[in-house]
Amino acid sequence: MNEILQYTVQGLAAGSFYALAALGLAIIFGVLGVVNFAHGACYMLGAFAAAVLMDLVGLNFWLALIVVPVLMFFFGVLLERLLVSRLTALDPLYNFLLTFGLSLLLVDLVKREYGVSGQPYTRPEILGGQLTLGALRLPTYQVFVLVFSLLVCLGVWLLMTRTRIGMIVRASTEKSELTRALGIDVNRWVTPVFGFGIALAGLAGVLAAPFRAITADMGSSFIIILFAVVVIGGLGSIVGAVVAGFLVGLVEAFGQAYAPTLSQIVIFVLMAVVILIRPAGLFGREENA
Amino acid sequence: MLEVRGLEAFYGDAQALHGVDLVVREGEVVTLVGRNGAGKTTLLRCLMGLHRDVRGSVTLDGTEITGLGPHQRARRGLGWVQDDRGIYASLSVEENLTLPPVTHPDGAWSLAQVYDAFPVLADRRRAPGTTLSGGEQQMLALARVLRTGARVLLLDEPSEGLAPVIVQRIRDIVQQVKANGTTVLLVEQNVRFASSVADRHYVLAEGHVAADLDNEEFTRRQDELLAYLGM
Amino acid sequence: MSTKRLAATAVVSASVLVLSACGSGGPGGGGGDFSDGKVVLAVLNDQSGVYKDLSGPNSVKAVEMAVADFQEKYGEEAVVDEIEVVAADHQNKPDIANTKAQELYDREGADIILDVPTSSAALAVATQAKEKKKLFIDIGAGTTELTNGQCNKYTFHWAYDTYQLAQTTGTAVTEGGGKEWQIIYPDYAFGQDMDKSFTRAVEEAGGTVGDHIATPFPNDNFTTFLTKAASAEPDVIGTMQAGGDLINLVKQYNEGGYAADGIELAVGLMFITDIHSLGVEAFEGVQFAEAWYWNHDDENRAWADRFLEETGTRPSFAHAANYSAALQYLEAVQAEGTDDADTIVGNFEGKEINDVFLKNGTIRAEDHRVIHDVYLAKVKSPDQVTEDWDYEEIVSTIPAEEAFMPLDQSACSMGG
Repeated sequence: MNEILQYTVQGLAAGSFYALAALGLAIIFGVLGVVNFAHGACYMLGAFAAAVLMDLVGLNFWLALIVVPVLMFFFGVLLERLLVSRLTALDPLYNFLLTFGLSLLLVDLVKREYGVSGQPYTRPEILGGQLTLGALRLPTYQVFVLVFSLLVCLGVWLLMTRTRIGMIVRASTEKSELTRALGIDVNRWVTPVFGFGIALAGLAGVLAAPFRAITADMGSSFIIILFAVVVIGGLGSIVGAVVAGFLVGLVEAFGQAYAPTLSQIVIFVLMAVVILIRPAGLFGREENA
Repeated sequence: MLEVRGLEAFYGDAQALHGVDLVVREGEVVTLVGRNGAGKTTLLRCLMGLHRDVRGSVTLDGTEITGLGPHQRARRGLGWVQDDRGIYASLSVEENLTLPPVTHPDGAWSLAQVYDAFPVLADRRRAPGTTLSGGEQQMLALARVLRTGARVLLLDEPSEGLAPVIVQRIRDIVQQVKANGTTVLLVEQNVRFASSVADRHYVLAEGHVAADLDNEEFTRRQDELLAYLGM
Repeated sequence: MSTKRLAATAVVSASVLVLSACGSGGPGGGGGDFSDGKVVLAVLNDQSGVYKDLSGPNSVKAVEMAVADFQEKYGEEAVVDEIEVVAADHQNKPDIANTKAQELYDREGADIILDVPTSSAALAVATQAKEKKKLFIDIGAGTTELTNGQCNKYTFHWAYDTYQLAQTTGTAVTEGGGKEWQIIYPDYAFGQDMDKSFTRAVEEAGGTVGDHIATPFPNDNFTTFLTKAASAEPDVIGTMQAGGDLINLVKQYNEGGYAADGIELAVGLMFITDIHSLGVEAFEGVQFAEAWYWNHDDENRAWADRFLEETGTRPSFAHAANYSAALQYLEAVQAEGTDDADTIVGNFEGKEINDVFLKNGTIRAEDHRVIHDVYLAKVKSPDQVTEDWDYEEIVSTIPAEEAFMPLDQSACSMGG
């Protein structure tokens, strides 16, 4: 029983990374129609930025949680303006290929500059150790990751549901063409939305820095799981991305506990089942337009 | 008010519109009738700037709007209601209403006016837009463009698939709109509905205007037209 | 048309024959016998992936250092003037390693291939070496197969293998009181091999292994595996993860606070580059097998200083082993006056060697396992570290004869 609780928290903590990053992926897909293959590389860049800035200017973890996403936002804005926007008028496949190429380029540039062994990172002392709740003992950092990303997801949810910007994002996610025809300059929102999605990937990277290996390849398998998350949640569905993120984390944790070698396959089995039963994903809407 | 000259539209190699010419004068209600595939919906999409592959010119109030994007056309007073009504599932009824910016405050309906005219929308204001019935969604779609104060309404088959009482309600609204001086271009398969609200009619066939009829002639040749439209 | 072509072909073949005749009879001066009139050493390894820092481009530098040392030592006396070093990237993939090895032997005229990390890639190159009858000295790969079932006349295994890792760490940690083990291993050939080797070593030393937990590879989340392993309350969790996976596991082991519960972490395969990337505090106190450590004695340190000048970084065991293998190969060439592979194999077999890397080294004739003293190392605590890369304390030396698989257990038969 105790272990089941422990696996649950661990699964949710692992799911936090997926949820945050998938949220960014879903928002970008929703508004731009771009499947951003470079999302894993941006997650990696977030972690690297935290490590490198700590090394160079002593930027601590708390500040990194703010500074790195801001930097990644501008990085995303740059990418969108310089590259992605040139291809949005064409078949979505072109942008998929572009971001695929970008991810290879970013990973290799990082390898070239920093090698492959990874970067050291020190987390704040206060997040070390374990929290004890009755018989349950959990690493403080995991609990922090879980709570923090739940708060961020809640924040994004409020932004999406309570503000006019959120309303416009939801509308253009659902019916981009009609939204334009109703007098809204969707293009004006495209660039910041792309930057925002990239910033979320970067934020997930910062959160991963103290807890995972910071290597150039850290995003390469991450992005594959992320796609599974987005497909399970429903392409472009914001709530779906978050729920599926945590769900996949849980499935992974219980898979690890009870069928270790299958723990990653289980995720894709889940994905296959979801697609078979609900082709549009758990929270996706079938669209005819 | 709205003038279309030599409009051609393409889908890849296929040409959907072969040089359409038409004029809608201020305050007029004009319908576009024609068989399925005649190019009616494509024409409205071209007017909204939603179709990329086009040639020809569209002017609004004498100003060329051919090169403008959809949102710029909306801001100049075009209000489009697409044939599937275009209600957002991820937006509540009220959000559906308030999403488009008010472009012409003079003729714009306030939210209170909308709720007054359509009490059902007020009752369901918090519900997701697509939980409304088909007729209610049509009311919502109409109310949405009325709230912006659009000066030219482009309505794509507003009566399609709706019960007679709802069609009657929509007829009332169109007549009310017309009374307020708003211009309407209406795509309609329902000849009876068309003749009851419109001043003039364009018959569209194979991507061009086959006939331009006033309402009197239209009503006189109704049976011929019904046969032509295959109804 | 076709007769013309035929004629041309004949002319070309004839001139090739003449040229090759000149080649074999040509260099009378040194009395040597060299293919292409030069010696070509090829380094085939991971130039861009997970083993890039461990070995990679800097191993090419190490081989170049060996060439320079050789030329300085023999000068005019050298039996061959032209020595070339070439490098290729196998991306840790056996199919690429296979193609690259063919290219190196056939087109680049490589007389020897060095390094080749990743076991499956190493086995592919060994097969090529056997077929082409050219030399291959493996350094980066861990599989004991190279000197067991899949051994061959032209393949040597210079630095370490999974048997030796288990023999060093498994035995030492168990004898040090870590009797009850849980093993977490990545579910592919290397991990399975390590799991077996460690289980044997632990049991022989009087310990027991509870669960053998197989994990996906690569993987970034080990928290549940660790919880599961720790729930059996073992003395030791043995991890066979490598590279980034190992870093993930160690970070998560530290956050879980298992050390405070008295559950030690033993690492099956760890390199100094791993410690460098994560920092000593993350690994503090972890014991692992080390084939060579740069700061162990003056000889090592002197060479490490030269390496630092060349590359800007301290050497891993793989860099030193590549240097050693290249140097000993050139010494054999010098002694025999030829780069003929069979002659060099004859020179190597049974040879006893002491150099900067091989301490009490012997090239076993029976299976071509190069045995030498290896070490049990312990990661220093941050306050013990006095300079960059000063991360390891050598706890004990395991003599060559004890560290490696005894010949009577080896399944190697050289055949042809």
